[in-house]
Amino acid sequence: MTIRIDPEGNETAALHELVDLNGREVLEIGSGDGRLTWRYADGTSHVTAIEPFAGSFARASQRLAEAPTDRIEFRNVSFEAFAAGSDADVFDVTLLSWSLC
Amino acid sequence: MVHALEEVHRLLKPDGTLIEIHPSVEPPPFVEVRTTGELSFSEDDPGFDYVDDLRDAEAAVATVTERGVFAFEDRRRFELRTHAASVEELRDHQVVADAYDPPQKEEELARRQDEMYARVNDLLGRTSGADLVYVEPATMSRLTPRLR
Repeated sequence: MTIRIDPEGNETAALHELVDLNGREVLEIGSGDGRLTWRYADGTSHVTAIEPFAGSFARASQRLAEAPTDRIEFRNVSFEAFAAGSDADVFDVTLLSWSLC
Repeated sequence: MVHALEEVHRLLKPDGTLIEIHPSVEPPPFVEVRTTGELSFSEDDPGFDYVDDLRDAEAAVATVTERGVFAFEDRRRFELRTHAASVEELRDHQVVADAYDPPQKEEELARRQDEMYARVNDLLGRTSGADLVYVEPATMSRLTPRLR
């Protein structure tokens, strides 16, 4: 057995109860290894998933290489740096994913 | 944190949505063991030492709602459950998961955590087919941007 995180789908169920992600432009801040990203990305227009920690970003990128999709873009960048280079009024949904604390 | 939320506000479209997810302060994370579905062990994680960080995060969200930057709309509470086959597997996973912010636990907290996991390990060694789960109660909130 390997580690299984939220096989019950509790987190994803809560997310879909709170917001409709269909066709939306999504920014995920603190995406880690993409654990949550992969669970909601289907149906979105596009997900920009940013993660400052290189180790987590590398794991996310590895999985993306194994299952390529244009729908998800992982970026190894801090939110401060990302925001500094971003225009206003771009995203329909922003997920602060276990990253505010 | 407040500045970060203000930046999130700037990046969101006027009719956009902010979803904020964070671990709950109460109840704290806990470890449980289930054997054929029955609960055979459940204890709070003695290593839970980031209450202040969580309260700071909650205070930042409260500040931006009080200032009218965001409006709170709805909330869900849920459990993020991490299943492992052994204590070693779970703790190895936690080291990787916490690698961006390695916890420097107080010696006493670390000792109590080690002691709890030793008891869990002993229980798992005496029980076949047991399911070890690290449970993180969490809160997910929906907010919408205001103040344009």
